[in-house]
Amino acid sequence: MKKPVLTLMLSLGMSALVMAGETGPLVTAESLPRLPQRLVEMLLAAVGGPEWLVQLGGMAAAAGTVVGVFLGAFALLSLIERKVLARVQNRLGPNRAGWFGILQPVADGIKMLTKEDIVPAKAEALLHFLAPVLIVVPAVLALGVIPYGREWVPVNLDLGLVLFFAVGAMTEVAIFMAGWSSGSKFPMLGAMRAISQMVSYELPLMLAALAVVMMAGTVSLSGIVDDQGGFVLGFIPKWNILTPWGLVAGLVFLIAGVAESNRTPFDLPEGESEIVAGHMTEYSGFKYALFFMGEYLGLFAISGLGITLFLGGWQAPLPGLGFVPTWIWFFGKLAAVIFFFLWIRATYPRVRIDQLMRFAWLFLIPVGLLTLPVAAVWHYTGRGLLGWVLCGAMLVVPYAILTVLYNRRMAPATRRYQFVE
Amino acid sequence: MIPLLILCPLILLAALGAVWKARPVHAALLLALALSLIAVLYLALGGGFIGLVQFMVYVGGIAILIVFSLLITRPGDEGEEVARRPKSVALGAACVVPVLGALLYTFGKGLPEPAEGAAPSVPLEKLGDQLFTTGLPAVLAVAVLLTAVLIGAAMFARDFGKNSEPPADS
Repeated sequence: MKKPVLTLMLSLGMSALVMAGETGPLVTAESLPRLPQRLVEMLLAAVGGPEWLVQLGGMAAAAGTVVGVFLGAFALLSLIERKVLARVQNRLGPNRAGWFGILQPVADGIKMLTKEDIVPAKAEALLHFLAPVLIVVPAVLALGVIPYGREWVPVNLDLGLVLFFAVGAMTEVAIFMAGWSSGSKFPMLGAMRAISQMVSYELPLMLAALAVVMMAGTVSLSGIVDDQGGFVLGFIPKWNILTPWGLVAGLVFLIAGVAESNRTPFDLPEGESEIVAGHMTEYSGFKYALFFMGEYLGLFAISGLGITLFLGGWQAPLPGLGFVPTWIWFFGKLAAVIFFFLWIRATYPRVRIDQLMRFAWLFLIPVGLLTLPVAAVWHYTGRGLLGWVLCGAMLVVPYAILTVLYNRRMAPATRRYQFVE
Repeated sequence: MIPLLILCPLILLAALGAVWKARPVHAALLLALALSLIAVLYLALGGGFIGLVQFMVYVGGIAILIVFSLLITRPGDEGEEVARRPKSVALGAACVVPVLGALLYTFGKGLPEPAEGAAPSVPLEKLGDQLFTTGLPAVLAVAVLLTAVLIGAAMFARDFGKNSEPPADS
């Protein structure tokens, strides 16, 4: 029954390949990630599909590529994270399923899928169901606008950066829905913590990105990557992180990005030792896994945005490396940034909620605001000694003042806690 | 035209639901839905920037603010809300009917001819240029207002913190 269908598809695919072979190479190393899209487009064109169908199919295939790549990366990361954490803590980590635990993600997936799906009696069933779905959507949407390579930009929007921050708003609504609809106090507390944290850290995140927008003169992510192309003195890449304002904005972005994706040391919303699992407490089975998927896809998205804004996107780090496909550079940088996040997670303890809020409002936001005038000065002085001295002074002096001020008023002190009677 | 026909009833339903629901959280979420559907409408009509900004400001800002204030306040009595409903409906109708009537009357007199060709798209750069040249007084006025509000809120929160100190332990 299925054989004729298979044969038909195969022959159609072959004919498409042959047709493409006549017009030029079907795929180069550079455009390899776009192969599914082109194949679907050719297949649809070969069977005589109308123009809109061909376009729609191509778009679906392009979206499928991104989702497939990042779901695979998510599965891999869930293993690598535990391996790295184990290595830092001098343990072995998962090593039972497959060689070196390589099949652990599969085992986890099967376990999550076969678990009972529990909806608490006091929960609002509809909202309780919608929340985990809504939490994955913005992460996938955000992944769609990032330029992964010179020829691999799933959705090349002029307003890419604006879209990234706009869909980020949906995450907060989803977390609120999860926390409130569970009808239990720990999810509610977790949601409150998550919303206040995400609202606070969104500001420095946007301010840091704004400095880059000011310098690049565009909110198109492809435009921002193009702006960072080229080399100073022939070998230093023109990445934004290698400028005084970019360094500071990049650090602000990094810290705010960790907080925005609710990861250690800012994982108060799901602080296990305090509020069970925060907004995910009343979820089980695959819905629980969806929250993790949303968190990890969000981590990929925020890392990808950070790479695009500050680390030169898909640009090669040294001249003469143009023969390597650009998307390899992007994913290499992504791996490095993700490893850095894991390293932070393994190293730092969780902060207190008052420290968290104070850090955002009293330190990160002023510093983020400061990067804007510094970027303006850099724009007029240009790359050179004068620019470095002026911008460096503009950054170091306020930093020193802030440090002295805060050290005097909020230095770490011994606190005594008493039980309430 | 098709997006308009699909989206407008949805927006209206969500907005009506936001008014009708007695439980504040449901009302807030439906309001967020209505606001995000309006953003989708803007996007469908080709206004990319305004659609995304609508989403960012109204869903990411306003709706979250409402939701957060719901989280930290005590819920009111839903029965009371339902009991007040006839009066509310009458008041609402009294407000809506004249506005709707005026709208329908204007439409009845005939709509202006739509401009030829596609809708003009304003590049972001031009928008920024205009905001900081011809629109500068407005931007500055808003900036001053927002700064004043921010300082006021900070001072209010400070006084509030002083007066409502929790009773001393022990």
